[in-house]
Amino acid sequence: MSDSLNTALKRSTSNLTRRRFLKSTLKAGGLLLAPQIVPGRVLGLNGTVPPSERIVLGGIGLGNRGTYDLSCFLGEPDVQFVAICDIKAARREEIKKKADEKYGNKDCAMYRDLRDLLARNDIDAVLIATGPNWHATAAILAAEAGKDVYCEKPCTKNIAQSLALRDAFRRTGRVFQAGTQRRSLPNFMYAIDLARRGKLGRLQTLYAHPDGLATSMSGWAPAESEPPKEQVDWNLYLGPAAWRPFNKKWLDGFNFEKGGGLTGGGCLEWGSHCVDLCQWANDADKTAPIEYEPQGDELHARYANGVKLVLRDNGWIGLGSCPVRFEGDTGWVETGDDGDLAASAPALLANKRAKVSGYPANFHVRNFLDCVKSRALTRANVEAACQTHITCHAANIALFLKRKVTYDPVKNQFIGDEEANRLRSEALREPWRL
Amino acid sequence: MKFQIRNSLVRASQKLTCTPTPILTWAFTALSLFIAWSGPACAGETASSAPEQERALIQVLQSDAPPGQKALACKKLAIYGTDKAVPALATLLADERFASWARIALEAIPGPAPDKALRNAAGKLHGMLLVGVINSIGFRQDAGSVSVLKRKLIDSDAQVASAAAVSLGKIGGPQAANALSRALGKAAEPVRPAIAEGCVRCAEKFLADAKSADAVKLYDAVRFSALPKERILEGLRGAILARGSAGIPLLLAQLQSGDRDYFNIGLRVARELPGREATEAVAGAFRQATPDRQPLLLLALADRGDAAATPVVADIAGNGEKKVRLVAIDILDRAGDPAALPVLLNDATGEDPEISQAALAALARLAGNDVDSELLARLPDSSGRMRQTLITLSARRGIEKALPLVAQSVGDPDANTRNAAIQALTALGGNNEVAELARALAKSEIPAERAHIETVLVTLSGRLGTKCVPSLLSLIQSPEPANRKAALQALVAAGGSDALAAVAAATEDKDQSLQDEAVRTLCSWPNAWPEDAAVAEPLLHTAKTDSNSAHDILALRGYLQFLLGDEKLKEDDKLAKMQEIMPLLQRPQEKITAMAVLQGIPDPAALELLAALAAEPAVANDACAALVQAAAQNRPSISIDQRKKALQLAVEKSTREETKQKAEAALKNLQ
Repeated sequence: MSDSLNTALKRSTSNLTRRRFLKSTLKAGGLLLAPQIVPGRVLGLNGTVPPSERIVLGGIGLGNRGTYDLSCFLGEPDVQFVAICDIKAARREEIKKKADEKYGNKDCAMYRDLRDLLARNDIDAVLIATGPNWHATAAILAAEAGKDVYCEKPCTKNIAQSLALRDAFRRTGRVFQAGTQRRSLPNFMYAIDLARRGKLGRLQTLYAHPDGLATSMSGWAPAESEPPKEQVDWNLYLGPAAWRPFNKKWLDGFNFEKGGGLTGGGCLEWGSHCVDLCQWANDADKTAPIEYEPQGDELHARYANGVKLVLRDNGWIGLGSCPVRFEGDTGWVETGDDGDLAASAPALLANKRAKVSGYPANFHVRNFLDCVKSRALTRANVEAACQTHITCHAANIALFLKRKVTYDPVKNQFIGDEEANRLRSEALREPWRL
Repeated sequence: MKFQIRNSLVRASQKLTCTPTPILTWAFTALSLFIAWSGPACAGETASSAPEQERALIQVLQSDAPPGQKALACKKLAIYGTDKAVPALATLLADERFASWARIALEAIPGPAPDKALRNAAGKLHGMLLVGVINSIGFRQDAGSVSVLKRKLIDSDAQVASAAAVSLGKIGGPQAANALSRALGKAAEPVRPAIAEGCVRCAEKFLADAKSADAVKLYDAVRFSALPKERILEGLRGAILARGSAGIPLLLAQLQSGDRDYFNIGLRVARELPGREATEAVAGAFRQATPDRQPLLLLALADRGDAAATPVVADIAGNGEKKVRLVAIDILDRAGDPAALPVLLNDATGEDPEISQAALAALARLAGNDVDSELLARLPDSSGRMRQTLITLSARRGIEKALPLVAQSVGDPDANTRNAAIQALTALGGNNEVAELARALAKSEIPAERAHIETVLVTLSGRLGTKCVPSLLSLIQSPEPANRKAALQALVAAGGSDALAAVAAATEDKDQSLQDEAVRTLCSWPNAWPEDAAVAEPLLHTAKTDSNSAHDILALRGYLQFLLGDEKLKEDDKLAKMQEIMPLLQRPQEKITAMAVLQGIPDPAALELLAALAAEPAVANDACAALVQAAAQNRPSISIDQRKKALQLAVEKSTREETKQKAEAALKNLQ
């Protein structure tokens, strides 16, 4: 295509974008009424950061998502990435190349076994993006090794892991940030602020979009020829999951053993984002709903304060993926990954900031790094992550059992329901433990 | 594919395993490619069939079933198993492939039978399998296993001893605590960290049972032992928290430590240790800290959420050195204490812009139902900088009750107050305020103020949308062209058919500059365009009828952009509109845009129009490129011969090598 013709097409495209952008940003202005952040000025972030003040970072299991997360970390001036651990040689080398190119040296060390990386005393924090099978176990190992942790979601496989994760980070006093980056994005923060400040009236119903609710139990695949350990360490890949023979179809990491016994549903994959936002909106970071019931294509839950949580795939305005909607008795607000907000009254959106779309993680990463320095709680701290994951797991259990379950968020057990209670945990393969 | 296969097998598996007789025939072996389970077929089914399911699953474990079937049977027994399943499961504990599967069920089945089985296995197994069994004992918190685990603390296998230590910690109690604290000083170095972990876990259990003295002993034992630093820090944290207010001196020692790790654990515990005394101690540590540590301690103080911290933070927010003062202002709202309000208002109305902005931001965040009322109550009698601040805050906090006073302030004699009020209307205003701003604009003769009102009017109109258009119509009828121009911009922001009609009418305004603005506006109509197809008609009308050539060009460009972007327009209609407009295109720039439209229309007639453009030397190369782009694609509505003809023309007419090569390649594909 000719350059001028190309330009004509591009102009057309950019015009559309500009026009739509204009429409949305015309309405923006003012200051976001945001939840707390650690002021950057506390942390001496103005200007360059001397090596002694940098946060020394290691990476564990960095695939597609982890590589993106790493790019956010590498963009921060006070981070020094020094080591990668992955069970796949190709990934180790890819990440080392990226880090070495960034720093102009050959210093990034490579490990196959996360215990070797965690044994390094110079590493302050780790980015964990292995796959859900390893998340909690690796995060707990890291905390016990004295590292702060940024961990991709879903962070846990079951309710017991959620509690163990919380307890480990409490016990060790380490900083934890779940990779639920929407907690650091302005449109979601704005919507949550409206809910928490009572601008929607008394909260009635929270809606989250799990993008598929079906569950199944993880299973077994036929044996295939196992690659050399140096290329793919199958034993370490399985890690805490019960043994099964090598099969490359399990190697994607993304779905393998997600949610422990219960896999395949968006309840955990997306719920760890959108349910998490509902939890925050309801000021429920330290608790979870008490009832969960599948209703048609939806899952309805109820908090002790009477607020209802609905997981549904349909009925959304269309503001991008991972939408949430908060309804109070005087108003509602809905938002999603497009970065736009819709509300029952224009005045509710009067102070929203210019939108950020594409759900970047850099704000969330920055929040983590700030908290590593201040030792404050992160936005997606371990307590909040624990309760969000418990909510998702409990919902998953109701979906799996195809019936209502009732949960006691203080005792952390289902009430009078042995079947459900037995699904709260799953033994880890030796030698791993929580 | 994976899930399709899995799901079909799941259904098959479910059907088989939910049927009481005969449960599994090993003809099923062939199906065991991917095995998973999507749960009970329906609610309530499991309760009635659980014993049958258990019997069937035990049969699977005891048969020569394929390994995948045995594994899944273990998973199901985790839900449906009873003590009847325990012997079959226990047999698998010595099998490296199935031990972890078996433990999934053994950890879940209630009652003493699994405990007994695990204890027995602990006496027989070695190495990793033994580690797994010990881990499961710890998970089940089997107090009856303490003596077994105590013996394992001195196992020569460090992994076994470590597992035993952690499991003892999970079980807790005096026996476990004694064993662990004794082992702490004696154990080999590789095992010591796990023994310390066991001690800390034991201490946590003591604390949960309100036995803080016992907990303190264990925490102290850990922090005074030769251990890796991270274990010492855990012991320290626990030792402070378990002591309660008596732990304050130990906390202060960490906050004064020169070692960053000890200081950091101090910062963590400074947020956790409850009580007024602790708040005061942290405040004291803040006062004595070096300037680089003061902000961190101030943050920790604020995170305690104790109202007792507010006076300290407020004092710094009002009088501190600038760097730490800014931090204090940033965090003063956290406690939600109304006492923060006057301090922050004072800061917000001060002379230092950085302090003022930080205070405004904190005031906007300040929680509490009384805050809005308090700000509202101060507004009527305020003046000068305070009034401006209160107006700004009313907007940022969305205090709608402040609207009458804000609107009234649009006419305030003080220019800064007027500006604050005008700006606030962006957030708070409704249709009435659009009208009010329109009137204010009509009156104002101060250029800067007019510019401000215009900006706010556009923003507010954009927020309110079409419903505010009637409030703008009087402005577009103003005798002053500048007012009519401002009205045009606001109408663009509001959008909708009425606004569009008003803008279209303005293309024939008596004032030339306004005509120009109206045409420009039409060409970049920023509504839900290109869905807003109504803009096409006035654009085309202007292109055809306007005597001003600049207007023609703008209108043509806008019209072509509309045709290019409108995804809803049918291809036939688009072609007809292009055929209508082609004679009007005079300049190469518009012709090139037209090519972009034409190459997207799958019709031989579009190719013909492009071919005609290829005959014009000024645009021939671009037309040839478009021809190649269009003809290289397989479109049912265009015959192969027509495509060949177009491509051949491009080969002949284009002087660009790249275009020729693409055309020739496409022609080759058509042979």
